[in-house]
Amino acid sequence: MDLKTLTEINAPSGHEQPIRRALLAELKEKGFQPTIDRMGNIIVVKEGVGPVPRKRVLVSAHMDEVGLIVTGHTEDGFLKVTQAGGIDTRVLISKRVLVGDDNIPGVIGAVAIHLQSAADRARVMGYREICVDIGAKSKGEAEGKAPKGTYISFDTPYVEYGEGFACGKAFDDRVGCWTILRLLEEELPCDLVAAFVSEEEVGCRGASGAAFAQEPDIGIVLEGTTCNDLGDIPEIAQVCKCGSGVAVSFMDNASIGNRELFRKAIAIGEKEGIAHQVKSSVSGGNDGGVIQRAREGIPTLVLSVPCRYIHSPSTVIKLSDAESQFELTRALLRAL
Amino acid sequence: MDVKKILAEATSTLGVSGHEAEVAAYFAEQFRPLVDEVKVDAMYNVIARRKGNGPKIMLCAHLDEIALMVTKIEDDGCVRFSSVGGVDPRILPGSRVWVHGAKGKLFGTIGALPPHLMSAEDRTNNYKMDKLHVDLGMCAETVRSQVRIGDLITFNTPFTELGGNQVAAKSLDDRACVAILLRAAERLQKLVCDADVYFVCSSQEEVGGRGAMTAAFGVEPDCAVVLDVDFALTPGCGPDVACPLDAMVVTHGPFIQPKLNKRLIDCAKAHNVKLTQTVAGRSTGTDADEIGVSRAGVPVVLLSLPEKYMHTSVETISLDTLEEGARLLAHFVSELDAGWEEDLWI
Repeated sequence: MDLKTLTEINAPSGHEQPIRRALLAELKEKGFQPTIDRMGNIIVVKEGVGPVPRKRVLVSAHMDEVGLIVTGHTEDGFLKVTQAGGIDTRVLISKRVLVGDDNIPGVIGAVAIHLQSAADRARVMGYREICVDIGAKSKGEAEGKAPKGTYISFDTPYVEYGEGFACGKAFDDRVGCWTILRLLEEELPCDLVAAFVSEEEVGCRGASGAAFAQEPDIGIVLEGTTCNDLGDIPEIAQVCKCGSGVAVSFMDNASIGNRELFRKAIAIGEKEGIAHQVKSSVSGGNDGGVIQRAREGIPTLVLSVPCRYIHSPSTVIKLSDAESQFELTRALLRAL
Repeated sequence: MDVKKILAEATSTLGVSGHEAEVAAYFAEQFRPLVDEVKVDAMYNVIARRKGNGPKIMLCAHLDEIALMVTKIEDDGCVRFSSVGGVDPRILPGSRVWVHGAKGKLFGTIGALPPHLMSAEDRTNNYKMDKLHVDLGMCAETVRSQVRIGDLITFNTPFTELGGNQVAAKSLDDRACVAILLRAAERLQKLVCDADVYFVCSSQEEVGGRGAMTAAFGVEPDCAVVLDVDFALTPGCGPDVACPLDAMVVTHGPFIQPKLNKRLIDCAKAHNVKLTQTVAGRSTGTDADEIGVSRAGVPVVLLSLPEKYMHTSVETISLDTLEEGARLLAHFVSELDAGWEEDLWI
């Protein structure tokens, strides 16, 4: 399964069924025996080829993505929405979306520029004002087509462009899912517990259960992380750079990377010539936090693909960074 | 005529104000089988004539679109831009665009800050256009080899079919009204019509009715009907400024010839075409303003198609309303007899 297929599946947090079904089918076809746990995580355990006792390593990526959810309907047939995962409303205006499992096309408009006062132009529209238009003419029609609780995703196909870049939605974190699928094809010395987890974008809820249930010796989180490397951003605020390789985190708002694993990853990257960078700002947070603090604690490291314009309809990655994520993770697993 | 297909093709054809050659060529081809003569003039106006011996009437809808233009290429490869026509900066963050460079069009995306890194102040102000950039996924050297200052940037938003026979796309303002002209031309083939009809797809409307100005001089019409979009009701855009999506709109006001307008309203009544009536106290903000004062003056009326989210990349119209507009326009032209001018000013 390629990155295009993975990112174009619509599965916001809490509605991972479509991506879960696709991953299950893929894993079964490859001869694995995936299981689904109580949080809806998909787990595949692949035994290592090294001598026992082998390390049991949880490699985790979240399969959910940020999206919207229908909260109500106006009398004239527009959908009221809120965010499922963090989406700045300013990236929603004038965008196309797909509503529900039937992928009903919708658009998010705004009052025409001709009718805006200077204050309107400056003011950010909140979720109370954002509406999705599916062409319904009445409240009843809108409710019938998209009842409360219906999930909505960006309608932005995967595109490869420029000098080795890709633009699409949900790279955060289908890119991690893609890397895990590729790791499962490898023979590794350790026991690999591959986890495609749910609900990261609403508070790292899936990984928490997975780490508890799987009791790994080590946790490695494969993520897509913020990258802010173009335009008017001072170097100190850029976090990481697209094209400079996989980003290794020493610390973010959810966890402090295990020092030994961090040093090992950097050393292996240097020794094997795998492009890598240290994530240069303490920002964001991810499943690393809940995995690290599962049960009596688990040494954990986060390895991320830099994502420009993360949590927007058009996120950008450099494909070579995804390759580096795969290579560095594989090298690290071989060295554990 | 497959209106949906025409709209899908027309809205994905390049035609930024002042650079309308491609879209003009497209519409000229669409008119050719429906009329006696078609030409594209020096301003990229398309002028299609259905010959007749009666009054000379000009039907006008603009074919240009708002867009962006390259102003600078930064050393990190970012492309800076300004707007051509009234682009709302609020629609830009997260939008996909085409940059029309020397070697063809390049895919690009306009960035936005990640929520994780925003300050409280960032969150409460909209982006200003000069703080945004197009990301072409290329280093500055490659960008500079293909893109120059002044190159055009258009929105890459596919044509979308919504429910209720509505469609969303960029530049439906005003290519949806050009489609009304095309459908009216087709309908006129089955109607009796004495009028000498000029279908004009005008250029440079978004920067001030400049194409219509010269087209009206050239055509020298006896009277004119301008077709443009008007604001449709949406959340935040109420009945004080907007009209229902499902009916064409006529405008009253000093720039509109009242007797010709009454003729249009009476025609709608006679053919059961639903109309909303609105008022423009001064200029209409359409080609009607320029056409009305062409040469010695031209009696003009404005017939509008309601559109949701004007000047965004998801402008939305009703195909049913579009078709009613074409039906009304065809009957109006067909019924414009030799005596139309009697009592015009009395």
